Amino acid sequence: MGLLREGKLSADREIITGLLQLLDGLRSILKTIEAEDAEGEGEDAVLIGRLIELQAPAQAQSKKPVHARAGASSASSAPASVPPPAPAPPAPPPQDEIQPGQAEIEPEQAEPEPDQPAALATPPPAAAVPAAVVSATVQPPEPLPAAAPASKVSAEAESDAARPRIQGTAAESTLRVDVTLLNRMMNLVGELVLTRNQVLQATSADPNMTMLSRRLDMVTADLRESVMKARMQPVSNIFSKMPRIVRDLSQSLGRRVRLQVEGQDTELDKSLLEAIKDPLTHAVRNSLDHGIEPPEVRQTAGKDPEGTLKLRAAQEGSHVVIEVSDDGAGVNVERVRQKAIERGLITPDRAAHLVERELLQLVFLPGLSTAAAVTNVSGRGVGMDVVRTNVEKIGGKVEIDSRTGKGTTLRMRIPLTLAIIPALIVRSVNQSFALPQGALSELVHIPPEQAAAAIEWIEGAPLYRLRGKLLPLVFLDRLLMPGAEHKIVTERDNFIAVLDADGRRFGLVVDGLADPEEIVVKPLSAVLKDIGLFSGATVLGNADLALILDPGSIAMKAGVTMREEEEAAHAVEGETGANAAKNLEYLLVEAAGRQAAVPLGDVLRIEQLPLSRIEYIGYRPVLNFEGQLLPVEDSGGVLDAAQGNPEAQIIVVVCREGNRHVGVAVSHVLDVAAGGDLFEAGTSQRTGGVTLLKSRVTGVVDLGGVAPLPAGEQAPPEWSQTEETVA
Amino acid sequence: MSTAAMAVSRKEKTAALVEMCSVRLGSALFGVPITHILEIVGSARPQPVPLAPVFVGGLVHYRGDVLTTVSLRQLLDMPPKDGPQDILVLESSGGCFGLLVDSVGEVLTVSSADHEPNPSILDGRRRALFAGAYKLKDSLLVMLNPEQLDPMRLGAAQA
Repeated sequence: MGLLREGKLSADREIITGLLQLLDGLRSILKTIEAEDAEGEGEDAVLIGRLIELQAPAQAQSKKPVHARAGASSASSAPASVPPPAPAPPAPPPQDEIQPGQAEIEPEQAEPEPDQPAALATPPPAAAVPAAVVSATVQPPEPLPAAAPASKVSAEAESDAARPRIQGTAAESTLRVDVTLLNRMMNLVGELVLTRNQVLQATSADPNMTMLSRRLDMVTADLRESVMKARMQPVSNIFSKMPRIVRDLSQSLGRRVRLQVEGQDTELDKSLLEAIKDPLTHAVRNSLDHGIEPPEVRQTAGKDPEGTLKLRAAQEGSHVVIEVSDDGAGVNVERVRQKAIERGLITPDRAAHLVERELLQLVFLPGLSTAAAVTNVSGRGVGMDVVRTNVEKIGGKVEIDSRTGKGTTLRMRIPLTLAIIPALIVRSVNQSFALPQGALSELVHIPPEQAAAAIEWIEGAPLYRLRGKLLPLVFLDRLLMPGAEHKIVTERDNFIAVLDADGRRFGLVVDGLADPEEIVVKPLSAVLKDIGLFSGATVLGNADLALILDPGSIAMKAGVTMREEEEAAHAVEGETGANAAKNLEYLLVEAAGRQAAVPLGDVLRIEQLPLSRIEYIGYRPVLNFEGQLLPVEDSGGVLDAAQGNPEAQIIVVVCREGNRHVGVAVSHVLDVAAGGDLFEAGTSQRTGGVTLLKSRVTGVVDLGGVAPLPAGEQAPPEWSQTEETVA
Repeated sequence: MSTAAMAVSRKEKTAALVEMCSVRLGSALFGVPITHILEIVGSARPQPVPLAPVFVGGLVHYRGDVLTTVSLRQLLDMPPKDGPQDILVLESSGGCFGLLVDSVGEVLTVSSADHEPNPSILDGRRRALFAGAYKLKDSLLVMLNPEQLDPMRLGAAQA
């Protein structure tokens, strides 16, 4: 072991494998000790034998046999020295806290590559094994200093030096808290949020009371945020397991892989972190097995024989994006097409019409695998389907992007937290129900007089023609109260909530819509859970209870299933909203005769209001919107054009930009459409960008360019426009 | 009912005294041992749950949780009552639940000497729900068995 450290023995793959096996052995010994208070019989001898074996070539090469022998004996005594677990430095669990400290301990040995967590003077149980980076060029530090007497002294000296620092920063300032306690706190805070909502609604004319409730509002918001933060954990908790997986797999598959990890300190709610562990592991396995080719193949293709697997985590608004990308062969789209036809997942006819990007989405269908042979790693065709189901279960989304010969990127978008979800409150059977917005794609209103024409029937099954496609409708009132009398569609307002549930698309018809609300999910008792339609209940701001609808089960209950062919088509269609090519949905607006697009994800609401509501600070138009000043962007000249007419109504699209809101004045809101990217993926930039909307190049409004209010006057950004968008 | 009883020995020699919360349902008087009651919530309007089993009286908001209530009227096949009802929040092995009754009356102290088991002419369902009756001066106080009122148990019994 000392040899390694002194550079006498270069860390080749053999040795690292041996050391890792040894580590596993030591871990199991430690476990036995913990369990039985005595050293298990185990296969110490095997391990020792392996160590000596590894040492042997080094001895042969070594110019100082004496030293080498000393090293060998110390190494072989390593397992024996474990039983008293005392020498093992600090407790294993807070791995991530120990590592940074130790990263500093041995920089000279680690030769760290900037993107690799190359540090390991870690005690055996805590060894997070960054050494698993499969690169012959890297000299991994040894994983077992504490166990080897020869290096123990130095290791201890080092950790002694480091320990005060580590403890000072991490151990003393952190606290381990029971998760159930945190959950309870979360619950109580949720409760406080509800009470706050009620207080805010009930606030009387007393100005004192108004002030107090405002303060309560602020404190509650802060408190909620802190408690949420307390549940957050860095993704490094799961990322740190990956190097070992990558290493073991790449060895057994004969691949050479370099692992790059980015954004380790991105934080995610603990329960969500648990939930994405399996999908992530699967994605990594997939990349290794199907993505990165064997070294020889790579060399022939003119690529670096060593493949790169990149794990990246980053926060994007209220989501965390986790990407697994490799520079391997990419998904063979033709194979996907063939396989899909072979398995009867889509018809040949349909397959012929699908473009590459659409075909890619097929890999998420159950039963599809492009692997020629089923290995013990993958190829059974259940993988990606499960990845998608798992991620969607927690309200996330999975996208895949692949370029033949260049690599594949799997992108998972995970919401930051589970406990509080945005929902739309809908009314039916004289009650309020909460519809999670994750499943909601759009809303359609059909007034009574149009209902007869708009809703079509096939043998009693209601359908709605949504942009030329038939959408099955489910009437919530009929579903909830079978047998009871219901108003026919022509006698009431029909609101269709177009839902996307587990790949099933249908319209849920409700009697009315109320505001969107952030709701705190409360569990239901088992008796009510058995009904199957409700996933929970919540208390609304007005103290009413509302049941939370579960779109998936509603689809099941109402018998909304799709022919597989449709499902495949849908899988494609559904993903276009935010799919692999980074397609965003845009709100198409018209301002003073020109068309422009606003990213739909940023749009909070659309307000129609009289021009007189617009006030000016200096020359800047602002809108007093729910008690807050909203800077209004008017580079389209809508306000100026309407200036002469005091009766004029203008439309303001309220958007989210970073952590502030801005308004965009427009004359019409035209449509919602998915934008096509005009740039190659990777170089696409959104600000001031253009997008392909309905086959026209349309400028995207640069929300970031709207000057903040307190700041001085800035030149308003132009509607970015190209010559193709001639109005 | 010795387990649920608060034994206070007064002038009676051996008979234990039990404190019962009396509840009214139409003209009938029922009793629930107070040791099972967590709280009494007055005049609540539970939110009905579509498609729920009949005995479910709806949901109420109780201390940050959503509580499932059992309607005693529905259980005993009595016509539903309009207007607010009182809720006894009961604790059972499966968690808390609410019991919807017309109104909650006073707490009565009854002696186990006055207790009589369920009469044999009761139907099976009621025999499970009731735990005998106490003879009061001018009426009978039918004792309810809180464990049997648990919605989970009722749900299982119905299925």
